[in-house]
Amino acid sequence: MIPLEYFLILSAALFCIGLYGVLARRNAVLILMSIELMLNAVNINLVAFSSRLAPSEFLGQIFAIFVITVAAAEVGLALAIVIRLYRNRTSVNVDEIDIMKW
Amino acid sequence: MVSATAGSICLLLSLYVFINYRYTIGGYQFTDQYPWLKGLGVSWHVGVDGISTPMVLLTGIVMFSGVFISWNINKRTKDFFILLLTLVTGVYGVFVSLDLFFLFFFYELAVLPMYLLIGVWGASSTFPTFARTKEYGALKLTLYLVAGSVLVWVALLAVYVQAGINSFDILELQKLGYPQGFQYLFYLFFMIGFGILAGLWPFHTWSPDGHVAAPTAVSMLHAGVLMKLGAYGIIRVGMGLFPEGAQTWAPALLILGTINVVYGAISAMAQRDLKYVIGYSSVSHMGYVLMGFATLKVVGVNGAVLQMFSHGIMTALFFALVGVVYDRAHVRDIGIFEGIAKRMGTTAAFFTVAGLTSLGLPGLSGFVAELLVFVGTFQTNVFFGILGVIGAALTAVYILRLLSKVFFGPLSPRWEKLTDATKLETFAMGVLVAVLIFVGVYPMPFMRIIDSGVVPLIGRLLTVA
Amino acid sequence: MPSINLPGMEWAWLIPGLSLLAFAIIVFLGKRLPGKGSYVAITAIGLGFILFWFVLKDLLYSRPATFNVTWFDVSKYSLKWGMIIDPLSVLMLGVVTSVAFAIQVYSLGYMKGDPRFGWYFAVQALFAASMLGLVLADNFLLLYITWELVGICSYLLIGFWYERRSAAEAAKKAFVTTRLGDVGLLIGILILFKQLGTFDMSTIFQAAQRGDISAGILTLVAILIFLGAMGKSAQFPLHVWLPDAMEGPTPVSALIHAATMVAAGVYLVARSFPLFEVAPYALDVVAIIGLLTTLIGSTLALVMTDLKRIIAYSTISKLGFMMLALGSGGYAAAMLYLMTHAFFKALLFLGAGSVIHSTGKQDIREMGGLWRKMPVTAVTFIVAAIALAGLPPLSGFFSKDEALIAIRDAQSPVVYLLALVAVFLSALYVARPAFVVFFGRLKPENAHAHESPPVMTVPMMALAFMSIISGFFVFNWVGPLFGLPAQFKGFGAFLFLEHPEAFHFDVMLAVYSTLIAIAALGLGWTIYHKGLISPASIMERFAGVHRVLVNKFYMDDFYQAIINRVVLAFSNLVALFDRRVVNDTGVNGTANLTAFAGYRLRYHETGKFYDYALAIALGTTLIVIVAFLVT
Repeated sequence: MIPLEYFLILSAALFCIGLYGVLARRNAVLILMSIELMLNAVNINLVAFSSRLAPSEFLGQIFAIFVITVAAAEVGLALAIVIRLYRNRTSVNVDEIDIMKW
Repeated sequence: MVSATAGSICLLLSLYVFINYRYTIGGYQFTDQYPWLKGLGVSWHVGVDGISTPMVLLTGIVMFSGVFISWNINKRTKDFFILLLTLVTGVYGVFVSLDLFFLFFFYELAVLPMYLLIGVWGASSTFPTFARTKEYGALKLTLYLVAGSVLVWVALLAVYVQAGINSFDILELQKLGYPQGFQYLFYLFFMIGFGILAGLWPFHTWSPDGHVAAPTAVSMLHAGVLMKLGAYGIIRVGMGLFPEGAQTWAPALLILGTINVVYGAISAMAQRDLKYVIGYSSVSHMGYVLMGFATLKVVGVNGAVLQMFSHGIMTALFFALVGVVYDRAHVRDIGIFEGIAKRMGTTAAFFTVAGLTSLGLPGLSGFVAELLVFVGTFQTNVFFGILGVIGAALTAVYILRLLSKVFFGPLSPRWEKLTDATKLETFAMGVLVAVLIFVGVYPMPFMRIIDSGVVPLIGRLLTVA
Repeated sequence: MPSINLPGMEWAWLIPGLSLLAFAIIVFLGKRLPGKGSYVAITAIGLGFILFWFVLKDLLYSRPATFNVTWFDVSKYSLKWGMIIDPLSVLMLGVVTSVAFAIQVYSLGYMKGDPRFGWYFAVQALFAASMLGLVLADNFLLLYITWELVGICSYLLIGFWYERRSAAEAAKKAFVTTRLGDVGLLIGILILFKQLGTFDMSTIFQAAQRGDISAGILTLVAILIFLGAMGKSAQFPLHVWLPDAMEGPTPVSALIHAATMVAAGVYLVARSFPLFEVAPYALDVVAIIGLLTTLIGSTLALVMTDLKRIIAYSTISKLGFMMLALGSGGYAAAMLYLMTHAFFKALLFLGAGSVIHSTGKQDIREMGGLWRKMPVTAVTFIVAAIALAGLPPLSGFFSKDEALIAIRDAQSPVVYLLALVAVFLSALYVARPAFVVFFGRLKPENAHAHESPPVMTVPMMALAFMSIISGFFVFNWVGPLFGLPAQFKGFGAFLFLEHPEAFHFDVMLAVYSTLIAIAALGLGWTIYHKGLISPASIMERFAGVHRVLVNKFYMDDFYQAIINRVVLAFSNLVALFDRRVVNDTGVNGTANLTAFAGYRLRYHETGKFYDYALAIALGTTLIVIVAFLVT
């Protein structure tokens, strides 16, 4: 059996890549994709722990499916926002979207 | 109209509770308990005792006449009554809840509709030296009350954690003792948090401003019932849970209450707007309630609870009357009126009754309540008792000045066309007048019920001492 | 003769009860009743008057008693409504029912055609009920309740013609001024309650006599109670409301502001006499205030020109005289004076009312020679005036002499001398309206004046009769004459059932007090009738004094200045403080501070998405690290 640490390292790496993407990218679509990466990192964690700690109950798996479902809905919503943004400002560069204050 | 029916049903139910409350048995009656959130120990636990029974009746009466007074509201009528009824739901909820969580929940429910009611249906006014918009009044009122709620909420959670029995049930929590330091601190939280709603000086300014901005029925409910929520909170939660805290802070409460009485009366004397006069008189009268609580004597607290009832009815009547006058004259400046008793006979007569109650005329409910408060205060501290009596005399000064200026004297030509209150308004206000006289002449049924609720409370307070 | 089937003492509560019922009936049904309910009120007080005789008879055959019912209980106290039947209260019952009955009948004529005729009688009934309750009360609580109720009736009746600004102001002034005194009374009562835990008078008096209360507190309480009496009985310096109270209808002035309510203060001091007996300093205060009041009242009565105000100041002076007698320990003398004064002063007012009703004027300078037009009024008025001046054998003579004896025995010669001066002045000031109004030349504009209808003159005649004979009650042979039991000898003996104390009658004093009165009347005759000494020349000679008197010693102006400059200024200051400091600084200040803080802090918000994301990431990391370090 593959040791749990491998999964954790994989998941941590994936998460960090995602985080980097979120922070460093300027393109809204890429940021969304990076968020997906982070979510998947979490999913890996969930499934890994679940199968190791309580293999018969599939709790982590169920949870992961929830996360995927919610993520899909979220991306749908976010992409819709991005499209509206593009229509309005002909740009999806988050640098230029700074009226989200006061 | 649905709300009229609802109002009537509320009144009838309240009367039913009041009449069927068995003072000989005392304690909590009409109780009902269902677990709601077991994990947190929140349960739907309601019931009334000698203190809340009169409050329930008060709400019923004020609501009933408030609905009839607002009969002529024709701007978004439905919304108005929805909010009004929500508010009343909250008020009833506070008075009957025996669970801290629900008590707080209803407390907020009662406070928040006020914002919309004042903001939408209120009236802005400009005075020679300053202006008060309705938005200002509504905002100030809401912020104040929310600030009070925050203190209360913090203290509630502290109690919950400190007790550690996983229950919000007041009766359960009362059985426990709390460390002294804890009581000192959090009684203060309750005292100020609830005190804000009761118009405690110096946190009283929301009250006159709020009244000035609010529409008639809201003023009635607000001064008549809502301010009582604060006082009720102090006695039910504060004094009920923290006997030692109550004793420690009693002198402070006594001083603040006396300041309320005298300061409110003196401020009322200088006001030129009818609603401000009544608003400050409310501040002054709530002072008697606080003084009564601070005596920690059965007599004084009895008086305070009766004063809550009496003042509720009286001030509702006052605001109803001011509303009636304002509806017709469209001004509230005392200086402009003269001799309108000639055109508004019924209104003048009712105003006189309310005024006389306010200045503590025997035979009307205010006297009985104030007398008991004074008796209690004299036993605690003669000096503050004397100040209280003087405050009552000051009330006479401003009430009579107002009566003399506005209603008596020669009728000024400007008011030739004024009409008296309609039948419906007369009926609504007549109910209040009748209650004032009844309680003043025959307070026995009230005193028996209140006494049965106050005695155990004070008994617990004194066993700790 | 047993009185088993006849109503006795235990029925006494019906006397005020009937009037209260009448009030309720008139308020609710008045408009539909014949005479707008006036007959209901009169019947009630009439029945009360009849009942009074039964109660009196019962009292004469048995001992004083109290009856009470519980009003409500509160913790360990039980507040009661009760009545005490003793000579003092029965005496007052008699005075109040008889005078009120006479005056209500008189009002039928006087108030005829008034738009608020029914309301007038409703308040009259309420007043009668509260006044009777006041004299019957056996505890201080009920006494205070009824005390305030008579006050409010007085307010309502003074302001009866509220369309007149002056009436509305006078009503307010009367209520507020008496209320000042009532504050003292209430505080006194509450201190007693704190000391003894009861409002019951007999318990309190017993405790006081036993010495259960320290002398200091007792003196304080007695003075506080007297403060209440000062307000109600218009004693200096709280007397200013009574002359203004003349804005009310004249029968009201007669009943409330002459015969009964203003005498309630005297009654209160008499009732609490056991307290004053053990507080000698308080008694001195009563005497001094009484003396001051009587002098002020009688000097001011000399210069007023309004007929009713003259009588009002006379009332003040007489009330002061009663207080002086009380302060000298002349308990029975004061009560005798109260009774006789009730009759002749009510009569004076009714006479004045009759004149006003017929001429429509109140200023005595516009009157003269009216006796030809209104003989009954003139005769009864003069009877009352002579009674007031204190000529034998009218009632005022006896009561005045008894009071003088008490004063002579208890006070220093100076006080006694001043009391005699007051006697002289009162004869002089009452001579003035009597001569000026009824004698001399008839003014042409008063040619239409006519005698009042019988409904007004008959009560006046009845009161005149009482003014003449009520003084004879002092004699010990009165009781046996009516075949009454041996206890009832004379007035003093009646009031002091416990310790019989017959009335003394000092011939020397009687002679020179009579001489003083006659001299004063003679002087009045010379000045006001013969004009041998012209009033105008006196006025010129003493212009300064006259100005001070006409301005009522500037007391009204002084009070007005205090109200304007001090009270209102202070309240404006407080209101301003409330608005500027508490509200604008404390409340809005907090709000502004919050807003300002937000205004400053918002520059830390860039609005850039990745700034927030970075903050979230760093924050989370930080929390995780901290969590690790801690655990």
